[in-house]
Amino acid sequence: MKPKIREFIFQELIFVANPDQFSDDDDLLEAGLDSMGIMRLIMFIEDNFGVTLPDEEIDPDNVQTLNALEKWILRHKK
Amino acid sequence: MNQISDLITAFLEQCERTPKHIAFSQDDRQISYQQFEQRTKKVAGYLTGSNQCIAIAMDRGIDAAIAIYGILRSGNSYLPLDINNPANRLNFIIADAHPVYIIGIGPCPENINIDSQETQWLDLRDLLISDFSYRNVQIKTDAIAAILYTSGSTGTPKGVALSHKAITNFATWAGTTFNISQSDHIASLAPFHFDLSIFDLFTSLSCGAIVSFIPNRLTLSPSKLTQWLCDNKITTWYTVPSLLSFIALKGSLETRPLSDLKQILFAGEVFPTPQLIKLTTLLPNVNLYNLYGPTETNVCCYWPVITKQLQADKNIPIGIPACNAVLTIDKTTHELLVESDNNFSGYWQNGKLNTVTFKPQGYATGDKVSINAKHEYCYHGRLDRMLKCSGYRVEPAEIESIINQLEGIETSVVIGLKDITSGQRPAAAVVIKKGHTLTHIIKPLRQKLPAYMFPCKFTELSAIPLLSNGKVDYLSIEKKLTH
Repeated sequence: MKPKIREFIFQELIFVANPDQFSDDDDLLEAGLDSMGIMRLIMFIEDNFGVTLPDEEIDPDNVQTLNALEKWILRHKK
Repeated sequence: MNQISDLITAFLEQCERTPKHIAFSQDDRQISYQQFEQRTKKVAGYLTGSNQCIAIAMDRGIDAAIAIYGILRSGNSYLPLDINNPANRLNFIIADAHPVYIIGIGPCPENINIDSQETQWLDLRDLLISDFSYRNVQIKTDAIAAILYTSGSTGTPKGVALSHKAITNFATWAGTTFNISQSDHIASLAPFHFDLSIFDLFTSLSCGAIVSFIPNRLTLSPSKLTQWLCDNKITTWYTVPSLLSFIALKGSLETRPLSDLKQILFAGEVFPTPQLIKLTTLLPNVNLYNLYGPTETNVCCYWPVITKQLQADKNIPIGIPACNAVLTIDKTTHELLVESDNNFSGYWQNGKLNTVTFKPQGYATGDKVSINAKHEYCYHGRLDRMLKCSGYRVEPAEIESIINQLEGIETSVVIGLKDITSGQRPAAAVVIKKGHTLTHIIKPLRQKLPAYMFPCKFTELSAIPLLSNGKVDYLSIEKKLTH
């Protein structure tokens, strides 16, 4: 799951000079992920991984890093 | 109402009517009209001279509002700096504007360089405890009130200078058209260097409304943002379509009807109609208004959203003339020309106002428009390359000029890619000098461009493709960037 999300983020949402060196704990928001990017990311995750992420939980804390994002998704994956 | 032509008179008259009423609210802090008026007087008493540019280096909020009104009361013009800008852009603007003072809180931050002898850093807290007495200053209606820097087509930012008369004309129109009164509670999110803030700062306080600053962190939490709008009993909000799209899709509005909200005004970019339809369905009792106009004319056209008229595959019109503007369409280019009391006085460059000579029909916007069967104006894109990114206007030339300064870059072309949510995203095609790699070259760019200007994609080309007439083939570059 993470590699697919990673690919989507770095191909569609933000440009980082060297995605391979961007760690799962690096800050996506600092790297340029904004409100529109978060919206597209959530739609991508919901469409591809059969999970619904509750609106109330959309928050910087849950999308700050790839690891935080994964934890958030796993909490809702049955 | 008698004709008021400067921002301070309108404000002071309101202070006399409702001194105890809350003017601004920010987190747990509130300030009444009277308290606010007294603080602005302190600031004005300290600031000597008149018709000078005074910059503000503060995040939006009560303190920055005190500084702005204080500067205006002293007879000077305010320049709100975007403190989140990279240092090179921030310092370019300071060097270009030659402000006599930069007002902030605490000591001057490291990313601001004050090289020049003529600029002095001031700590707002010192101003507020100073005991200089304030002498009433007569403000001329054509004096410059605000200098708002926007992206420039020549590669560097330029300051749009707006007079008291221009801002008052807009503020009064908006107050009347949207029926703003003491019972209104306005949500404010626009940074003060963004022209949407003119409504939050001036229409509000001339009508006796309360302005509440939306905490920055909520822009990434749509559901918490709508809860905040609900808790703060917001009646009116002027913001950008991209955020409204986010709220329409993810803001939990199904379970949170926002019963106090009367109206939402939006501007800055085209609102994608499917998302707008969704918003009108979720908020059936809220009046929505599409406001249109470049910073140079402020709002010159507006369209009260008519739900029945919305079609998912058709863009909404920009509507009918606003603020008593007289609109003309150039017969050959279809460019919109605007004659309005809102119009800017000129560009602030190199520390002074360079007045502009308008065409007989007014300011040429660079926007292509037409009129539909209902006599509404419709927007059809730009005559030049300007982009709209997150509500900001972005000149590709400004991004190209920064990219071209990077070590190892031969040349670059920046275009806009349509974003599915709203507006555009800059994307860059670059030609690299031998012996360099793209990933290496691009690294320092993040520190040189504001986030909304940072290209979402890069592609490497051996040469910039040209058309047979020698002009850049933007279409083929766009194809390369989308595939």
